[in-house]
Amino acid sequence: MTRRPDESMTLLREVMERPLDPGYAAAAERRAQSPDGGTRRAAWVTVTVFLVAAAIGLVVTVAAVTLRAPQPAAAEARTLLETELADRERQADALGAEVDGLSDEVEALRSQTFDDQDPDVQAALLRDGVVSGSVAVEGGGLLLTLADASALAGAEIDTDSRVHDDDLQRVVNSLWYAGAEAISINGRRLTPLSAIRSAGQAILVDLQPVSSPYRITAVGDPTTMQTEFAKSPGASFILTLSSFGIQSSTTPQSSGLSVPADPSIQTFYAQPLDSNQDDADDTDADSTSTEPPTSDPESTP
Amino acid sequence: MIAVIGLVVGMIAGLALQPEVPAFLAPYLPIAVIAALDALMGGLRAKLDGMFDDKVFLVSFLSNTVIAAFIVFLGDQLGVGSQMSTGVVVVLGIRIFSNSAAIRRHLFKA
Repeated sequence: MTRRPDESMTLLREVMERPLDPGYAAAAERRAQSPDGGTRRAAWVTVTVFLVAAAIGLVVTVAAVTLRAPQPAAAEARTLLETELADRERQADALGAEVDGLSDEVEALRSQTFDDQDPDVQAALLRDGVVSGSVAVEGGGLLLTLADASALAGAEIDTDSRVHDDDLQRVVNSLWYAGAEAISINGRRLTPLSAIRSAGQAILVDLQPVSSPYRITAVGDPTTMQTEFAKSPGASFILTLSSFGIQSSTTPQSSGLSVPADPSIQTFYAQPLDSNQDDADDTDADSTSTEPPTSDPESTP
Repeated sequence: MIAVIGLVVGMIAGLALQPEVPAFLAPYLPIAVIAALDALMGGLRAKLDGMFDDKVFLVSFLSNTVIAAFIVFLGDQLGVGSQMSTGVVVVLGIRIFSNSAAIRRHLFKA
């Protein structure tokens, strides 16, 4: 008796060579042998066959329909979330604009009051406002740009060639060291309470995402800042970054740089004093008490 | 014949009623559909071979679907669910292809 060369591969042969269920052949044989040709059978068999067939058809159809269904549902939920997100962003923008308008109003009322009555207090308030980030400033300074390494459209940028949160931290710290009086990143004011952090690949400044290119605006004396920054660790760090393909530029400007106020300044522990200490101004004390100069937890960065 | 009529009735009922499928059954639906397709191809080929049998068709249909889903369930329990699914799809796919080749030979004589 000869052995098949592929005897050890019965399983594969079974799959490849006999795809038709042998039961069909067996049934055909049975039919051929039975006296009536196998055409007649009991009524209950017919009914059972019909019911089972109907059940199988139902189940398979439902399965196929269910498999097709989830994608539109998921897409629908996604669209819903997207519109909701856009709505909320619009609301937040509107509220932010309202805050800006109100703080401008507060500022105007305050200067109106203090300019006449107490110029020293007004000067102190402005100074504190600049330091704490509650007042928008403009003037000369340095404009520093950091950008991720350029890549072909759609290509993934190597993570080493991206600007990271600690890159921004080092550069910003060096700018403070170089004498910057107010700094913003992509229009977000850095206050003593600001944090530059990362979440995944995104960089967050005060929990708001910013993206490449990062424009760091530092207001201060342009000449001093330029020399001091060149001596600081940040300048050499930027050189190191450039070897990873990160693009940077530093431009001193004698004027025209503007850094906005941080709209979200709030106090956590400090409470406004009652207006009894300054009786002369108690009609306007309410408008000034929303941002008392004593409220800054740290007055220098 | 009665089986085919039953299948069609069931499919129409399924399309019309569209009942909810319990969530725990969802992972087995694709496998069950492929197993059902395999049984359908087998039945069609048997019909063309002239030895179709209602009972054999239904039993093979039912057992294929249930066993395929069970294998995937077992794989899920053992942590190799996706590999098991792949294995089932490969085996059933080969059968579907060879059955449809036989059907093609019957229909087009080529």
